[in-house]
Formats: sequence, C-alpha cells, structure tokens
Amino acid sequence: MNAVIAGVGESALGRTPGQDARDLQRAAALAALEDAGLRLAEVDGLLTTPIRVANWAMPVGMVAQALGIRPGYLATLDVAGASGTAMVHHAAMAVATGQASTVLCVAGQNQLTNVSRDATVLQLAGVGWAHPEYEAPYGPLIPTLYALVAQRHMHEYGTTPQQLAEVAVAIRGHAALNPLAQMRTPITAADVLGSRMITTPLHLLDCAIVSDGAAAFVVTSRKDVRKRPVSILGQGYGFTHAYIGEHDAIATTGAVQSGRDAFRMAGVTPADIDLAQLYDCFTITVIAELEDLGFCPKGEGGRFVEGGRIRLGGELPVTTHGGLLSAVHPGLAGGMFHVVEAVRQLRGECGERQVKDAELALAHGNGGIIGLHCTLILGRG
Amino acid sequence: MLPPRPSDVFSLPRCGDCSTFHFYPKPACTKCGGAKLAWAAASGGGSVYSFSVVHRAPSPAFKEQVPYVIAIVKTDEGPHLLSRIVGVAPEAVKIGMRLRARMDEGRPVFEAG
Repeated sequence: MNAVIAGVGESALGRTPGQDARDLQRAAALAALEDAGLRLAEVDGLLTTPIRVANWAMPVGMVAQALGIRPGYLATLDVAGASGTAMVHHAAMAVATGQASTVLCVAGQNQLTNVSRDATVLQLAGVGWAHPEYEAPYGPLIPTLYALVAQRHMHEYGTTPQQLAEVAVAIRGHAALNPLAQMRTPITAADVLGSRMITTPLHLLDCAIVSDGAAAFVVTSRKDVRKRPVSILGQGYGFTHAYIGEHDAIATTGAVQSGRDAFRMAGVTPADIDLAQLYDCFTITVIAELEDLGFCPKGEGGRFVEGGRIRLGGELPVTTHGGLLSAVHPGLAGGMFHVVEAVRQLRGECGERQVKDAELALAHGNGGIIGLHCTLILGRG
Repeated sequence: MLPPRPSDVFSLPRCGDCSTFHFYPKPACTKCGGAKLAWAAASGGGSVYSFSVVHRAPSPAFKEQVPYVIAIVKTDEGPHLLSRIVGVAPEAVKIGMRLRARMDEGRPVFEAG
C-alpha cells in the first residue's frame, strides 16, 4: 500500500508549565489527526521515541495508554536525533506490509520546565553521548563534541566563525516568522559572536535551545483524508560511529550515505530540492550536512551559507520553521518538527515564511555526535 | 572482553593476529575479525587532531577547572582518542601540534612533546 503523510500537528511549545510528556503528546496527536481529518479510533499503528525526563520502561505503551488506543502495530523507535525522519520511514513500512493502515507518530516531553537548564546539561551528559569510561571523565560537554567537529572543519576547509554565525542568524530569521517558535527576536552575526563562549569555537547562540513540546504526524494509506497528502519519495540512512573519538574523519558525516540513498530512491538531485529542513543542533551541523548531502562540494559549506543563500528567498531556504536553534528542541522529538514544517511548506500553509511553489522538500535528522543520519525526501502530493 | 586499561603505562588494545591497534576497545578486531585483543604499550606520541577549550563546566565537579582543553589526539599508532591537553596555555593549542602521553590518575592526558 502506498503511504502518505496526511496530517501534522504539535502541542503548545516553548515553556508549558503544568503539562507533562503525556499531556503534550496527546495534544500533538489530536492536532495531527484533526489536520488529517481522522479520528483517534481510526489509528491502528503507533510509533514514539523514548523520553528523558521520566523513567518510562516501555514508552510506546505509556503513549498508547495516554491516548486510550489499542493499535495493532506499535514500536518505540530510537535512532537519537534521526528519529524524527526515521519515524516517517518506519510508519510507511508498517503501512506497506499491511500491518497498519494509519500510523500515528508522536513524541515530545517537557524538557524545559521539568528540569533546569543545568540539570538538562547534566542529564544529557548522563545519556552517554560521551563514552562513560574513555571520554566523560575528561569533562566534555555535548557541545564540546560538536565543537571538535567545528574546529576540524575550520582547519581543513577554512570555515570561519562568521559563517557558523550566519547559520544561526538565518534560522533565527525564519523563527521570527513562525508564531510557534520559542526564540523570535532577530539576531545578527555580531550577536552570535558576542554571545558567551561555551566551548571553542561554539558560542551560546551556536547551540540549540531547550524546550517543552511534542510533535505528531499521521502516515496512512487512506484516501479519504481532509487535505492534499504529502508523498514519501525517498529515504536513506548513514552510520559512521558510536563515539566521536572513533571517527577518523570527523569533518565528514554519515549524511553522505543517507543523502545518496535518499536521492537515488527519489530519483531527484540536490538541485531539484526547494527547501532543506536540516538538523541544526549546532551551527556546524548544518554546514556539514549541506556538503555531505551534496548541496555544495565538500568544504564549501561555509561559503555556501553566505550571501543569504540559506535564508527565505535564497537559493536553498534551510530549516524554515526556526529549527532546534530557535524554534523548538524538546529532545528526541526535535527532529519531528523538521518533518512537520516540510509537510506544511509542501501544502503551502506557511504564510509569511512560505517557500514559493515548494514541490520537493528534504528533511534530515542527525543522531548522536554526527554518527547516525536519516534523510527523507518528500513531495507535494 | 578486555581487562581494565593498565593505569601505569599508556596502552591501546592491539589485535594478536594482525597487530592492528584499536580504540575504543571492541569485542574483536574490526580489520581481521580476530578475537585476541590485548592491551599493548603505545609509544605515547601523537598530535592534535582537533580540540576545544571548554568554558562552561558540564557539572559542578569541573567548575574549578575551566577553561580546559579537550582534544582528539591522533596517536602515532593510528587510533584517535579523546583526552585532555595539560600544561599548555589554551590559546597556544593548535591542530597538528605534537603531544606526548602522561598517565594521570590512571588515565592518559597529553602534554606538548
């Protein structure tokens, strides 16, 4: 059966005191179903991700219980930051095998109000992105592990702090046009370079924010949906390493493989893409992805982002909802919002930040420390 | 599974069959598949592959130490590893700089060398 994305939605985003992960996920799920014109009772497949703010032994069971549904297909998916894009693919596989006709993908949590920012930093350190025995005792932050990538990229290709800053400036400019985004005040490169140094060369504004929020989408084979569906044209995965210290060429990511496979499956090239919803946990991530997905030659990512090329109205608008840097980042669900925005752009629903005549969108997720990637290519249905 | 890392001499896991050095420890050699990995003394020489000066401590335990230098070191044996550079002013650290390992509380750290 041919699966499409028929609905997308989100909970309240930003700071949502009084709402726990189940409240947020339920709100997002109902919004996506409303968008699709389907009812909760019609959902026969469910996908979620683990959360970090509570100890859920079986996340998908907790979510099914919160929604009051008994789906015939259910799974908890965890490829870290690549989960958002990978969920679409897994849901489409469940539909293709006939296991389900309508899969609800939903995830999110109260990452901001459940814990303090300091506690989030500690909690992330405890997740094990740094090897517990061979890395963590030296005291790297998660941003430090990305800073190592940035420093090496600067060394090999001459990428500059100003070029990194432009990524943050462009994406904040997009967030400014998104009423749901958490950080909407436009910033300049001077603001980024003048913000507190966290771990060289990354300043505070080179790093993602922390948010409450949940996102959802509905993947279905049903034809009786409310809006024009979005087609799933291609996807690919790429894996290079578990720990950053194990990767011999850290300026290059698994997006090389995930992008190649996704483009091959979709039968299109980077030049055909109207907007790229790139995973933007740090500014360097976007520059590396632009290169590794083939939007520019390797090493040219820094120069590519100059001159407004990744801003709305530019050659390749990137992460038009405002991304993890400025719109919303509640943890593993963060990458789902890139998919939600791609769907809305392809439907022409984005108002002031609409990419004109958007027909093909790429959404990309990055998990771990640039170790695991999932690229998705979506088309106007 | 390898025994714990030797705490007195900088060592890397080495394959008993093809002599390839590895890091981090793995259940088997990723080159030849041999399972006879053992810790072997390494030269201690290496160079800076990448680095970052940490200004914000990840936890209260590190607050007194900032700013400090985290680096990925390319060892002369081949494997990369994450470590600290000590005894060098953070602003003097450069990619390519020669380093030498020293054991500190059972873990390797690196000095200019």
